[in-house]
Order: sequence, then structure tokens, then C-alpha cells
Amino acid sequence: MSAATLSPMERLPAPPPSSPSLAVAPVAAMSAPAADLPPSRPIIDIDHVDFFYGQSQALHDVSLRLDEKKVTAFIGPSGCGKSTLLRCLNRMNDLIDGARVAKGSIRIRGIDIHAPAVDVIELRKRVGMVFQKSNPFPKSIYENITYGLRLQGVKDKGRLDAVVEKSLRGAALWDEVKDRLHASGLGLSGGQQQRLCIARAIAVEPDIILMDEPCSALDPISTSKVEELIHELKKEFTIVIVTHNMQQAARCSDQTAFFYLGRLIEFAATRTIFMNPSNPQTEAYVSGRFG
Amino acid sequence: MKRFFDTELETFRSHLVLMGETSIRQVRDAIKALVTADIALADRVIAADDEVDQLEISIDDEAIRYMNLRSPVATELRFVIVGMKASHDLERVGDEASNIAKRAVKLAAEPPLKPYVDIPRMAGIALEMLQDALDCFLHTDADKAIAVIRRDSEVDAINRQLYRELSSFMIEQPGTISRALELMFISKSLERIADHATNIAEEMVFLAQARDIRHTDELKKSPLDA
Amino acid sequence: MTSPTATHFAPRPGLGRTWERGALWLFRVATYFIVLCGAFVFGQIFWRGAPTVFTAHAPFVNVAFFTEAPESLHVFAYQGEKMELGDRAFNAFKAAHADAGAIKDDSYVYSAGGIFPCIVGTMLLVAGSMGIALFLGVSSAIYLNEYARDSAFVRFIRLAILNLAGVPSIVFGLFGFGMFVIFFGWNVSLLAGWFTLAFMVLPVVITASEESLKAVPKGFREGSLALGATKWQTIRKNVLPYALPGILTSSILGIARVAGETAPIMFTAAYVVRDKLPWEGLEKWTDFFFQGVMALPYHIYVVSSKIPQNEYTARVQYGTAFVFLLIVALIASTSIVLRSRLRNRYKW
Repeated sequence: MSAATLSPMERLPAPPPSSPSLAVAPVAAMSAPAADLPPSRPIIDIDHVDFFYGQSQALHDVSLRLDEKKVTAFIGPSGCGKSTLLRCLNRMNDLIDGARVAKGSIRIRGIDIHAPAVDVIELRKRVGMVFQKSNPFPKSIYENITYGLRLQGVKDKGRLDAVVEKSLRGAALWDEVKDRLHASGLGLSGGQQQRLCIARAIAVEPDIILMDEPCSALDPISTSKVEELIHELKKEFTIVIVTHNMQQAARCSDQTAFFYLGRLIEFAATRTIFMNPSNPQTEAYVSGRFG
Repeated sequence: MKRFFDTELETFRSHLVLMGETSIRQVRDAIKALVTADIALADRVIAADDEVDQLEISIDDEAIRYMNLRSPVATELRFVIVGMKASHDLERVGDEASNIAKRAVKLAAEPPLKPYVDIPRMAGIALEMLQDALDCFLHTDADKAIAVIRRDSEVDAINRQLYRELSSFMIEQPGTISRALELMFISKSLERIADHATNIAEEMVFLAQARDIRHTDELKKSPLDA
Repeated sequence: MTSPTATHFAPRPGLGRTWERGALWLFRVATYFIVLCGAFVFGQIFWRGAPTVFTAHAPFVNVAFFTEAPESLHVFAYQGEKMELGDRAFNAFKAAHADAGAIKDDSYVYSAGGIFPCIVGTMLLVAGSMGIALFLGVSSAIYLNEYARDSAFVRFIRLAILNLAGVPSIVFGLFGFGMFVIFFGWNVSLLAGWFTLAFMVLPVVITASEESLKAVPKGFREGSLALGATKWQTIRKNVLPYALPGILTSSILGIARVAGETAPIMFTAAYVVRDKLPWEGLEKWTDFFFQGVMALPYHIYVVSSKIPQNEYTARVQYGTAFVFLLIVALIASTSIVLRSRLRNRYKW
């Protein structure tokens, strides 16, 4: 008897019958912390959010709660709404014509960020962002880092110097650039530029750092440095990272949210998502069967 | 969406099934050789152990290759890990079959101590357990796997009963000692085979539910222990 | 498939190759023709203007031509010698020679002296209109590109600006005349000229500014906004500095082009002749803005079409054109130098 004569076999075993079927899951009742994680204080509470770009709906009834000082990864195929949701968190979508949260609310530390009393400028000081394409300003490294503080009117040289050092150390860049703080930030390598952007973001001491595919343009070594950094930063900051790299989500994040077609399909501890996702779509996506 | 390397996973699965079927056949043949005092059959079983060993090596190789190059996650990852572990258990099952065959050759030279009833029964249960456990590679079914685990105590009970029986033979008739000892070892081998089936069944629960139930004892309680 | 042989890549005859050569030559000849025309125009002006602008002996430049006002040329015969003198020299000559009163001279307007007031006037017009155009143009470009949301109205504004660029210069002149000279009552004045020229160059400035603003990566804006900057802070600190080289270069070139226009200023700012320089004889400082000036293009126009033509006026025409070309070249090269220096400072 050989393998060839075996009866035709099924593909992988079907998902365990105990898991609830959540095909196109209206994960409505999921405004709860990710499953199987030690309890932590929620800092971001996204509550039944519908989001539109003009007439087209980009997010459908998304609810999830993100914990403080944890790394949350948003994964999903392109156009699934993960970046849209990320940019909702510091209202960067306000810059786009016709973009609006049509229903639901987003609360950060209990405060609805769309409330009239909320100044979007103040919000963005608390919720920093790192972009897909590293975008250091064509200024010196020093000026890049102090940009945010100078906007706030900080002029004291001593304080600025201290913040520059602290932020660069925090972004694991200090040793590499301490001798050329007044050289242009554009002279740095791609990975260093992205870490400079991270340093710039942490210089204003936000609570939350949003990262929109921060490593997609980086080589593997730079990527691992940024991942290392994320691991360090979560001691002080709450981090939300959008990534196309599943391994990266698995390596860096504590909890993972999977989006598909503008809906939140599954939100759980990263371990669970990658070991035993409860939704077949999640499983298919993380094992590279679609997306 | 089908992936170009899905066939690797299918090959892996078919090798596991083949290995399972081969080791079950080995055990069955060994017991048959014992009961029918068929030395030729016993020799074939001993010779065929190599087949199982080779399968283990190729399964390990495939699993390592798949984990290394295809970065499996979720069900696939569990499947590959479980398959690799099961192949070690099956290899041990093959070894036990060959042990039984060796003892069958020795016993064939002498008249049977008593009619072989308990040992074939025990073998039947152990092989059923093994078969059920391995079925989960094709149809993941945690309940079936848990049922396998629960049956382990049946085999243990027969083993203990045979032990007492054979001990009394040895005490009463010292001339039977060598044959009784061989049978005791055979019984022990079958008990080990059932243990391997249990191990595989425990892995199958992990495959189905990503839940590690080893050494938790909760499932081992069976009606017979009560 | 046959295996490659030595002739595998050998050329094959065909129409394609003929057309290829034909097209190449067509484009080549067209290009050379343009260069030739340009060279002819510049050569003509240089060749005929140089004798007016340069002199054969030190300091080799006709200083009077650059520093004096236009005068009439008096040509006469005195004691058998042919004399060519400007107004002042002629008067001095008459004063010095008692018998000069009987001299019969032929006088030619504008054919003596220099073009200093015209140079000054043109410079003032360029500087003022550039200031106004840059302020208005950059402001509206910032509004259109950074603040205004895309709407039918904004698209209409853009269309209007594009159309403005196609309006003939004489229409701008008439518009300036009606609007500033008459309706605002500024008369023929620097201010009216400034605004007329500024309006004419606005489409260029706005378009160039919008392009330059668009060329600044989106990341600069997002990065700044994400750090808690307001929109204006972002534009001022992180967008405008990087757009400025492009804005200045294109705008200055646009102005240099407009500075050559005669039509818009002939009704609004230019005088045929004015004996005072702009800073002379002002009763109060605001008068500065409400005076007309002489300007190079208008001077050329007057000298070459409003007065009787002869060998003496031709000299002035070509000399003025030559100086004018020099000034335009100067402005253009300023913009290029400025751009390269700013580019080096802000590179991304």
C-alpha cells in the first residue's frame, strides 16, 4: 500500500464544531476586551462605528476595546478598513473630503473624540502617528524631534536638548546619530528615518502611538529594529499597529484584530488568532489562503 | 484559494495515515503470529519494522521542512506539530509489534500455556483505540479522541488481570515461568501500545481545540475506575 | 525555434526604418530652425545695439546712456564741422559761442542722452507688481490647494484663473485703465500699473504656486498635523518653505515676461516723457504711488513708432532693446540662482 492508493482525503480538518460560526460576523457584542488576556484598563473604546468616504461605507459596525500599554495589531487584506479605523483614532480622516463617522463613537479614556469640546489639535498631541512611508521633515534631526514641542511654544534650550536625547534614546537611535544631531534627517537610512519619525512622535509624550504599516518599506534588519522598539515602547505607550505582515503581527502584538470588507471579523489575543482562530475567515487569512 | 504548497501538506497527511495503517497491521500480524504460532509471519513483522522507522524519518523531515519554509499558523501549525509527535508514538508502536513478534517466535517452540483469549482481546481494544485516534487526522473529532483516552483504563485493567493470572501460574508451576514471562511482556507491550494511542488521542484534542489536556487527569477517569 | 546565427540580429529592410529616419530629421530641423530664429533676433539686437551701449575706449560702456534722461539731438554744421549734441550740451555750446545763435540745426527727439528714467520705471513696475502678484497669488494658491474643499465653485475658480491667462494684454490694459485709472481715480500711476501687471501675471503665479505646493509630499503635512500642528502652522513651517523655490522661480519668470508688455502699461502707468525721476519733487510720500513713470518697453514703442524714423532714432531703439534684454536676462538668472540656492537648503 502506498500513499498514492489512499482514498481521497479531505483538506484540512474542519474547524472545531465548538466554535461558533461567525461568517461575515456581526461582532456586535464584542465591545469587550480581547479574549484570554489578563485584565487591563481599556484606553480606546470603539463603539459600533460606521464610517463613510462620501457614499461608500468603509467600516460597518466596528466595536472593540483596546487596552492600555498593549500592542494591538490590525490585520486584514487591502481595503478592509484597518487603516481607516487607525486614522479615525486621531481623526486624520478629517482631512479627507466627505469622510465621516456616521454612527457610533470612539472614546479615548472615556472621552468621545468627536465631541464638540474636543479640539482635534489636542487630540493629536495625545495620539501620535507613524506613517507607512517614513516622512522626516527636510530639517535637521534636532529640529525634527523638537518640531512638536516648538509648536507648543517650548523654547527653553535645555529642555529641548533633554527631550531630543530622551526621545532618540527611546527610539534606539541616540547612539547612531548623537554626533550629527544638526545634520539633515533625510541623510539617514530608511530604517533610521522611520525610527526618527517614531522619536518625533514620542517627543510630544502621547498616550497612544498609531503606526500605519511602519515597516512596509524597510529591509529585514531595519524591520526587526523597529519591532524591537515597539516591544520596548509598550512599557510606556499604547500602540496600535496596522500591518500586512502576519509574522510581524504575531511577533509584536499582544492582541490582534482581523478586518475583512470593513467589518471586524475577530478580535482576540494574538496567540489565539494565530493558534486557534474561531472564525474560518480569520484562519484562511492568517494561513495565507486569501487576501 | 489553493496554494501551490498545499500538496506538501497532503503528502504529509498521507504519510501519517500510511504509517498508522502500517503499525496497526504490524501489531495485528504479531498477535496473529503468536496465536497461530506462525514463525514465518513473525519474522516478516520483525523485518517490516524498518518500514515504519523509515516513515518516521520522512514524516519528521516533511514536518520540519514545512515549518521552516511555509510558516504554518493556526490549524496547519497544530496539524504539523501533532503529526510529528504522532509519528514518534507510531514508531514506538511499531517497535512494540516487533517485540511481540520476537516473543511469538520463542513461544511458538513450546505448547501454549493456555488458550489465547485475553491477549487478542486486549490487542483488539488497543488497535481500535489507535485506529480511532488516527481517524482524527482525516476527520477532526475531539469527542472521539476523548473516548479513546477514556478506554485506556480498559486495557490497563486487562493487563493487571493478566499479570495476576500469570503470576499465579509461575508460583504454582515453576516450569511455566519462561512462557509466562514472555506473555507478561507481550501484555505489557499491548498496554504500551494503548498508551501511545492515548498520547495520539491527546494530541488530537490539541489539533481540534488547541487545548492541551495532557497530565490533567480529568479525562482519564473512566467508568471502570469508579 | 531555430538557433541564433550570425545574421540573427542583422538589420532587416522595411518602411519602419525609413519613417524612423524621416521623423528624426523632421524634429531635428524644427528644433534647429527655432534656435536659428532666436539667434537671428538676439544677434540683430546685439549687433545693432552694441555700438550704442558700448564704447571703443575706457570705460567701454556708454555710461551716459545708462545714467541720463533722454534728450533731443541737435545736428548742425559749425565752422565746417558736423556737430551732434544733446539738449544740454547744445545749450552750453550756444552759451559759449556768441555766434551760435545763428546756427540752424536739425533736432531729433529722444535721440540723445540716455534711458535712465525708463530703467528706473521698469524696475519699479516689476518690483511692485511682483510684490502684489506674489502676495495675492500665493495666498489664493494656499487657499485653493490647502484649505478649499473640492467643490464646483472651486473648480469654477480654477477655470476662471486658467482663462485669465489667455486674456490678451491689451484687454488687461483697458481693464486697468477702466478700473484703476478711472474708477478708482488713481490716474496714470505706478499703483495702477502695478495692479494691472500683477493681475496679468496672477494666473502664472497661482498656477505655479499650486504646482509647487502640490509637489511638497503629503507626508510633510500629515506628519506635522499628527504632531498637533494647526493647518496654518503646518503650511507656514512645513509646506511653504519647501514650495517657495518653485513659487519664486516661476513667478519671477512670469513677471519678467510681463514686464516686457507695453499694452497693459501704456494706459495705466507709462509716460512718454517725464523730466523728473520718481523720487524727485514729491510733496508727500504717498505721491510716489500716484505718479506715472517712463518704462523701457513703452519707450521702445514710442521711439520706434511715434516719432519720425531716421538713423539717429534707430540707434536709440536698438540700444534700448539691448538694455531691456539684459535686464530681463538679469531677472531670469536671479530666479535661477535663487532657486538653486533655496533647493540646496531644502532638499528632500
